Amino acid sequence: MMFWILIAVMTAAAALSILVPLARSARREDPVEAEQTADTAVYRQQLAEVDRDLERGLIETEAAVAARTEIARRLLAADERQHGAETGSKSGALLRLAMVTALVFLPLGSFGLYLYLGSPDLPDQPLFARLSEPAENQSVDVLVARVERHLSENPQDGQGWSVVAPVYMRMGNPKAAANAYANAIRLLGATAQLETDFGEALTVANDGIVSADAQAAFERAVALEPGAVKPRFFLALALGQEGKSEEAIASWSSLLEGADPSEAWVPVAQAELAKLGGTQMAGRLGSGEALPGPSAEEVAAASDMTDQDRTAMISGMVEGLAERLDDTGGSVDEWLRLIRAYSVLGEGDKAAAALTKARKVFAEDTSSLGRINEMAEKAGIEGS
Amino acid sequence: MIVELGHYALVLAFALSLIQSVLPMVGAVREDSRLMAIAPPVSVALFVLVALSFAALTAAYLSSDFSVVNVWENSHSAKPLIYKISGVWGNHEGSVLLWVLILVFFGALVGFFGTNIPASLRAATLAVQSWVTAGFILFILATSNPFNRIAEAPLEGNGLNPILQDIGLAIHPPLLYVGYVGFSITFSFAVAALILGRLDAAWARWVRPWTLLAWVFLTAGIAMGSYWAYYELGWGGWWFWDPVENASFMPWLAGTALLHSAIVMEKRDALKVWTVLLAIFTFSLSLLGTFLVRSGVLTSVHAFATDPERGVFILVLLCLFIGGSLTLYAWRAPMLKQGGLFAPISREGALVLNNLFLTAATVAVFVGTLYPLALDVITGEKISVGAPFFNLTFGPLMIPLLIAVPFGPVLAWKRGDLLAASQRLYAAFGIAILACLFTLWLWGFERVMAPLGVGLAVWVMTGAMVEILTRVKLFEVGLSRGFARLKGLPGSAWGTSIAHFGVGVTVLGIVTASAFQEERILTMKPGDNVELSGYELTFDGVVPRKGPNYREDVGHFTVRTGGTIVEKMEPSKRLYTARQMPTTEAAIMTSWFSQLYLSLGEGRDNGAVDVRVYFKPLVTLIWIGCMIMAFGGLVSIADRRLRVGAPKPARRATPSPQAAE
Amino acid sequence: MIGIAGAVLAVAVGLILFALNDQIVFFQSPTDIAEKAIPPGQRIRLGGLVEEGTVVRSDDANVSFKVTDTVNSVSVTYKGILPDLFREGQGVVTEGVIDARGVFVADNVLAKHDENYVPKEVAEALKQQGVWQGE
Repeated sequence: MMFWILIAVMTAAAALSILVPLARSARREDPVEAEQTADTAVYRQQLAEVDRDLERGLIETEAAVAARTEIARRLLAADERQHGAETGSKSGALLRLAMVTALVFLPLGSFGLYLYLGSPDLPDQPLFARLSEPAENQSVDVLVARVERHLSENPQDGQGWSVVAPVYMRMGNPKAAANAYANAIRLLGATAQLETDFGEALTVANDGIVSADAQAAFERAVALEPGAVKPRFFLALALGQEGKSEEAIASWSSLLEGADPSEAWVPVAQAELAKLGGTQMAGRLGSGEALPGPSAEEVAAASDMTDQDRTAMISGMVEGLAERLDDTGGSVDEWLRLIRAYSVLGEGDKAAAALTKARKVFAEDTSSLGRINEMAEKAGIEGS
Repeated sequence: MIVELGHYALVLAFALSLIQSVLPMVGAVREDSRLMAIAPPVSVALFVLVALSFAALTAAYLSSDFSVVNVWENSHSAKPLIYKISGVWGNHEGSVLLWVLILVFFGALVGFFGTNIPASLRAATLAVQSWVTAGFILFILATSNPFNRIAEAPLEGNGLNPILQDIGLAIHPPLLYVGYVGFSITFSFAVAALILGRLDAAWARWVRPWTLLAWVFLTAGIAMGSYWAYYELGWGGWWFWDPVENASFMPWLAGTALLHSAIVMEKRDALKVWTVLLAIFTFSLSLLGTFLVRSGVLTSVHAFATDPERGVFILVLLCLFIGGSLTLYAWRAPMLKQGGLFAPISREGALVLNNLFLTAATVAVFVGTLYPLALDVITGEKISVGAPFFNLTFGPLMIPLLIAVPFGPVLAWKRGDLLAASQRLYAAFGIAILACLFTLWLWGFERVMAPLGVGLAVWVMTGAMVEILTRVKLFEVGLSRGFARLKGLPGSAWGTSIAHFGVGVTVLGIVTASAFQEERILTMKPGDNVELSGYELTFDGVVPRKGPNYREDVGHFTVRTGGTIVEKMEPSKRLYTARQMPTTEAAIMTSWFSQLYLSLGEGRDNGAVDVRVYFKPLVTLIWIGCMIMAFGGLVSIADRRLRVGAPKPARRATPSPQAAE
Repeated sequence: MIGIAGAVLAVAVGLILFALNDQIVFFQSPTDIAEKAIPPGQRIRLGGLVEEGTVVRSDDANVSFKVTDTVNSVSVTYKGILPDLFREGQGVVTEGVIDARGVFVADNVLAKHDENYVPKEVAEALKQQGVWQGE
C-alpha cells in the first residue's frame, strides 16, 4: 500500500512541476520582453567591461573606442529587435493540451510502462535482512547460507559446525557434511555420536562404501562407547564389503544378539547376515534382499519400498559403481563388491564380464588376482 | 520496495522527458511564455527522479539485494563498501544510468542557475537536452535495465572484476562522464539557437561557462584515467592511444577548440557558424565515445557490454542526434549574418589558428581511432594503429600550436601588432632558450629533440606568466601597485594564464618522462643489485602475503642513494582467488616530481624474479599540469559566475511596470 | 587567413595519409606468415595461441615461446615482463618484426584483462582455421 502511495506522490509531484508554472506564469511579466532585455543586458555589461579595462589600462584607448562602437551597434540592434517584437499570443488550446498531458499522459504513460517493465509485487531482498529473518519463515537454503556466513567469520565455532552438518546430510551434500563433522570433532572433541555421524557422512559420500577413514571413525566411536549400535553396524558392513565374510558374520551375529527385533536396523542386519551366509553356500542366493554397500539410511529406505522399486534402486547403485570402476579404476575390494553384487542380483552375464575385466585389471597383481579367483570360485561365476 | 520505486522513478522520468521535449520547444517557437515556463521546474524534477532512481540502485548495491539482476551479476556481499558503491557504475547498465544522471544534472543546473539566459533560449535548450535524455532513458529501459529482478534471489553475487576494484577506477568514470556528458548542454544550446535563429555574441556569453565547466571535469577525468592506467596496469605508460582513451580525448580537443572560438564569438560576434558547428561536433564526439565504449565494438578493459542489440541501439541514437543536428545546421547556418571582421594578425587570428590546429589534431585522432574499425568492416583486414601513427600526426600539429600559445593573449583584438607582441615575449623567449641550453648541458646531444621540447614547454609556461605580468605592467608601475593591479585582474584573464601555464607543465612532463626515461628489464636473484639514475636497488626476496580476497607475492626492494636507504619498495603480483585472476601491482616512489617505478614479472623456481624498473624524470608534471589547466578553467568560471549569478540586470535596465496581461 | 587554414589542413591531411601508409601495423596469423613471405624488418602484429610447453625463460627477463594457430606456428622472442594473463594455451597478440632467421622479435606482448578473453583478431583467425568454437 505504502508503495502505491509513494508512486502516486511521485507522479503527482512530477505533474505539478508542469502544472504550477502553467498556472503561475500567467501572472508574471512577459518573459518575451524580459528576454530581449536579457540581450541588451549582456551588451551593457560588455560596455562596462570595456570601460573597466580601459580604466585599468588593460587595453589601449583606441581599441576601447573601437570595441565600444561595435558593442553599441549590437546593443542598438538588440534594442530595435526588442521594440519590433510582438508579444506572442497565448493560445488557450495549447495550454489546455499541456495540462491534459500533465494530468493524463504522464500518469497513464508512466504507470502503464512501469506495469509492463517492473515487478511491483516483488519486495526488496537485502541480504542482511534475509539472513536475519526469523528462522521459521526461511528456506533451508537461506538458513544454511546464514550459518555458512557465520562460520566463515567464526571458523572456530564448533557448535555451529555440528549444527550445520546434519542439515547438509539431509540436503544431500554428504561431502560438506563430512567436512563439517570433521571440524566439529576437531573443535569440540570427539564423541561417539559425532564420530559415528562423521563416518556415516563419509560412507554416504563414498557411494555407500565404508572407506578406511570412515572405518577409523567408527572404530573411534566404538572405543568411546563400546555398546553403540550404529558404528558397530557400519563396521560389520565394512567387513562384508571387504569380503571378510567370516568376521562379518561374527560381527553381525554379536550385533543381533539381544537386539530388540522391533528396531529398524535389525531386519537389515539380518538380511546382511543371511546374504553372507548365502555366499558361503556357493552362490545359490538370489533373493535380492541384501545388497552391497548401502548406508543404513538407504537400506532403511529400501526396506520401505516395493520389491520392484528396490530392485531398480539397487541396480542403479550397482551400475553407478560399475561405471566408476570402468572410468577411474578402483581397489580390488571394489571390484570384488561389484562382481558379488551382480551375482546377487542374478545377473550372471554381467558378473562374468566384470570378473573378466577385474582379472585384466589385476593381471599383474598376483595376490589380488588370487582373491578375485577365490571369490569367483565361491560364487560360481565363470569369466573368460 | 525501494528498488521498484527507483524503477518507477526512471519510467516516470522517461514520460516527463518526453513532455519536456515537446512543450517548452513549442512554447519557445510560438513565444508562449507559460509553456516556456515549464522547462526549468521540469528540468529539476527530471534530475530529482533520475537521482532517486540512481539512489535506489545504489541502495540495492549497499544492501546486497541479489533479487536485482544487476546487483547479483556485479556485486558480492563480501566486497568492501567503497567497491559496492563504485560497483553501481562499474557495469554497463549502471554506467548508462550514471550517464543519464549527469545529463539531467546539467539540465537542472541550467534550469536552476540559468536565470540570466533569455526564457525562450533556456526553454528550447532544455527541450533539446530532454531529447537526448529521453533517447538514453529509452535505451536503458529497452536494452539495459538495471532494475530487472529475479524472484528467487540467489544468496551470493558474482563479484566484481578485481581489475575494476581500484579507487582510481571508482572515481574515474564519474569524472569523465561529467566532462563528456557536460558537453551535451553546449550541444543543446547550439541546436536551440539554430532552431530559434538567434546566434550572437550574447549567446556565446551564455554558453561559455557551461562549456568551461564540462571542460574542467573532462580535463580532470582524462588526467585521472591516465594516472590510473599508469600505476594499475603495471606497464609504466601513461597514455596508450587506446581507442577508449581516444574516445575521451577527441571531445576534449574539440571542446578546447570550442572554448577558444566561443571567446571570439562573444567578443567580436565573429566565427558564429564555426562555433556552432564545433558545439555540435564536440558532443557528437562524446556520443561517439559512448558508442565506442558501450557498444563493445572495441574489446578492452572498459567494454563490459558486448551485446550487439545495445550497440545498434546506441548507433541509431548517434545517427539521430548527429545527423539531425547537422541537417538542422546545414539548413539554418547559411542564414546567419557574419559578424566582426579582423586581420590575420590579431587575437581572433591567433584563436582561429588554435582552432585550426586543434581541429586538425582531432581529425588525426579520429582517423587513427576509426580507420582500423572501418577497414575491418569494409575489407576484413585487421590492422592496428598505435603510438607511432599518433606521434607522427598529432605531434607535428601540436608543435606550431604550442609555439603560438603565448602570442595569443598578448595580441590585440581586431588588428594586432606581431612585432610589439614579440617584444613583450622577449623575456619568455630568452628563458626558454636558457632552459634548452641547460638541458643540452645536462644530457648532451644524445637526443636532439628533447632540449627543444623542454624549451617549448618552458616557452609556454613563461609566456603565460609574462602575459599576466605585462597586463599589470608590473615592471612599469612598481611592485606595490603592480600587486594591486594583479588582484584587480578579471578571473578570466587569470584563468587563461593559469590554464596555459598548465599546458606548459604537462608538455614538460611529457617531454622529460619520454626522452629521459631510464629503463631496466632484468632477472634478479635475492641479493642482486641494479643501478638506475643514481638509485641503487637491492632485491631482498619475495614473500607471500594474504589479502582479504587475494593472495600475493610481494617483492621486497631496498632503494639507496649514495649508500643511505631512502625507501623500501614492495611491488607485487596478486592473484584474486575468487576468479583466479592475476594482477600486477607496481610500486612507485615519488621524489620531487620524478618517480621510480617498479613492477614484477614472473618468478623463477630459484627465487629469482623478472623485474622492470623505470626512472621517469618529472613524470608527475603530466598530471599536475592537467590539474593546473582544470584549475585555470575553474578560476575562469568563478569570474563568470559572479556576473551570471548577479541579480538579473534586465529588470534594472528596463523596468517594465506594464507587465503583460 | 583562408590560405593559412588551407595550408594547415593540407599539412594535416598529408601527415595522416603518410602515417596511414607507413605507421599502421597489419595483423597476421602464423599461417599468414607461412604463406605470405613477409619481409624481415616490417612491423606486424602476430596473434594466436601460446603453444603449450614452448615457453622458455632465460636470464635478464628474456622469454621465448611459440605462437600457433594450430596449423602453423612461429617462434617468438621477447625481452620484458609478460602481461598478467599470458598463459600457455591462451590467446596472445604480439607486435614486432621478423628477423633474418625467421624468428619473430616482439617488443610488445598483449593479453587483455579478462580471464576468458581471446583477442578479437585471434578469435577470428582461429575461426578461419576451424579451431575456435566460441560464440
